[in-house]
Amino acid sequence: MARHNLGTVVQFEFTRTIKKRRFWIATLAIPVLLAIVFGLVFASSSNTKSLTEAQKSDKLSFTYTDASALLDPAVARALGGEVEADPGTAVERVRAGTLNAYFSFPATLGKDPVKVYGADHGIFKNGSYEAVARQLVVLSAQEKVGSAELAAAVQGNFRTESETFKDGQVSGGLETVVPPLLFLVLFYVVIILLANQMLASTLEEKENRVTEMILTTLNPTTLVVGKVISLFLVGAVQAVVFAAPMVIGYVFFHDQLSMPNFDLSHLQFQFWPMLVGALLFIGGFILFTGVLVAIGAVMPTAKDASTVFAPVMIMMFIPFYIVTMVVSDPSNIIVQIFTFFPFSAPVTAMLRNGFGSLNAVSAAVVVAELFVFGLLALRLAVHLFRYGSIEYSRKLSLRTAFARKG
Amino acid sequence: MRKGRYAGQMEYRAAKPLIHVRDFRMQFGDNTVIDGLSFDVARGETFGFLGSNGSGKTTTIRALLGIYRPTSGTLEINGRVFSDDFGARLGYLPEERGLYKKESVLDVMTYFGRLKGLSRAESQRFSRAYLDRVDLADKADVRVDKLSGGQQQKVQLGVTIMNDPELLILDEPTKGFDPVNRRLLLDIIEDRKKAGATVMMVTHQMEEVERLCDRIILLKDGKSAAYGTIDEVQNQFGGRTVRLKYSGTLPESPRYRVGLQETNYAELDLDDSADEADVLRELVNSGLLVRGFVAAKRSLDDIFIQVYGDNAAIDKTVK
Repeated sequence: MARHNLGTVVQFEFTRTIKKRRFWIATLAIPVLLAIVFGLVFASSSNTKSLTEAQKSDKLSFTYTDASALLDPAVARALGGEVEADPGTAVERVRAGTLNAYFSFPATLGKDPVKVYGADHGIFKNGSYEAVARQLVVLSAQEKVGSAELAAAVQGNFRTESETFKDGQVSGGLETVVPPLLFLVLFYVVIILLANQMLASTLEEKENRVTEMILTTLNPTTLVVGKVISLFLVGAVQAVVFAAPMVIGYVFFHDQLSMPNFDLSHLQFQFWPMLVGALLFIGGFILFTGVLVAIGAVMPTAKDASTVFAPVMIMMFIPFYIVTMVVSDPSNIIVQIFTFFPFSAPVTAMLRNGFGSLNAVSAAVVVAELFVFGLLALRLAVHLFRYGSIEYSRKLSLRTAFARKG
Repeated sequence: MRKGRYAGQMEYRAAKPLIHVRDFRMQFGDNTVIDGLSFDVARGETFGFLGSNGSGKTTTIRALLGIYRPTSGTLEINGRVFSDDFGARLGYLPEERGLYKKESVLDVMTYFGRLKGLSRAESQRFSRAYLDRVDLADKADVRVDKLSGGQQQKVQLGVTIMNDPELLILDEPTKGFDPVNRRLLLDIIEDRKKAGATVMMVTHQMEEVERLCDRIILLKDGKSAAYGTIDEVQNQFGGRTVRLKYSGTLPESPRYRVGLQETNYAELDLDDSADEADVLRELVNSGLLVRGFVAAKRSLDDIFIQVYGDNAAIDKTVK
């Protein structure tokens, strides 16, 4: 009966949510917004591309004087430049519109600025004057050095690849940090998307006076667990809908949308950090769900519940105030407190797990703590629902709720 | 031998009350709401649970159904403390009633049907048949909050009787019901009685009690003030009443006390030792023109007022 009813509750709660027009309006609002942004980026990108192409064919013409003697006249000519024959009037001619641009290169490039004068072609095109002047100096310098490698070395234009070792094994870099932190992202997404629904999940029975009929046909644990499962499924649907435009954009319109390249093949999914991350995510989810459902069971209306809701959510974000300390000094006492205090533990421990500073013992303690407190919170939520939801129009006193246990 | 023993078990089971309450005590903090209450409800009977506001009726029902845990005592249904396993065989209409508002009528009825152990198809079949019976067939796909109050009451009743429950517990069932739904509810109770169901109902409507109930209990301040068949309770409180239609001046007499007097009508509460024939003779001899003379036991209304006094008057005004 219980298992049958659990399925019935999950199906009812899930179906009724996703059948609502309001749900789809709220859920589709974000991808629609993203699609609009992508559309604008796409249009802007096409525009920029055509503008760049136009600029390429529209060669810049300029004159210049070179007090530094660094410039290569051949390079200057290739870029559209001629040596200025009458430097004294050049600026005036630019001002009068008879000369397109004039660059004055000083004797000491390291100390004095290159003076650039040009006809105004709009804020976007005007930038090309400085770009060409800079390019002229760089290319001329490379010509003088006579070696591309030396030029790259002087410019610091080279890559490095690191490999570090821990306990005789190659230890990972950023590619090992990112995968466990995906659970942190997932945790935030799930809680932010579902927190309000968790809070209101049992309020509906109370506000609609359905509690007594429900309690005589259904175990309250089955109801609460069924609601939590259905919320999770609803969250999964929302996550898929939200992610869809990004995935479609990345796969099919990657270049047009100027999306960054992620080489996912470099990511290293290590077993233990991933396992700990998953357990912290599940434990944290159970804890926050239990607490939010319990708040909903005590409060008579959604409005009353929302006042208690804010502090719980703040607890979830507080660890980010000390994120630098979490990364650089994990043994700090504040980080330790945040690691083991139940409401800040999921986020702090997931950060430390990602950055490799959560040792096995600490991980085991935090995971155990989250599961124990989470299950206690769920049990409390069920108890408060059973007795709190009968108090239809007023807030349940915790003393009364536990006195009724008899 | 085996057959005899089986028959004996069946008789025992039939004789065993469906609801069994012994020495039930309920305390909220320092406040004792129920104090040593005991009663049984036999299988197939309709049992009236009466009492003024705050006398502990709803608390008793909630404790019986496991919503409250009793401070002490035994409360059993079918020989066991209530658990949701029995929910499939129970039709409960609570005093505080409502439905999921944002879903369609059919979805809500199907959900409760499934919780009571019916398959989806059975739930929908029952729901459609019921909606057809109460002229709401065209509202099956309408959201509950779009129905009128009376239509919602009909849906609520439908949910209560899904899966043909063998026990109906109705807490002030006609409270807030319009006359049409009140009639419907009484018909449903009659139907369920004929089908052999046990009915326990809390009500303040004495005519419903007299019409439907086999036995009653009167609860006062968390204790039983009267318990038994209606006849037994009427006998327990003694007294007979004469409903008199007359012309002339009603004489005073030690044989009776005038309970209610209107123009040409009076109700006389007879003294325990008075004989109806002697009273009639005395009235005629006094020169009174007697047009109607009906002797009866005291009504439950009178007994209710006697037991609950001023509280009862307030209750009945509210109702």
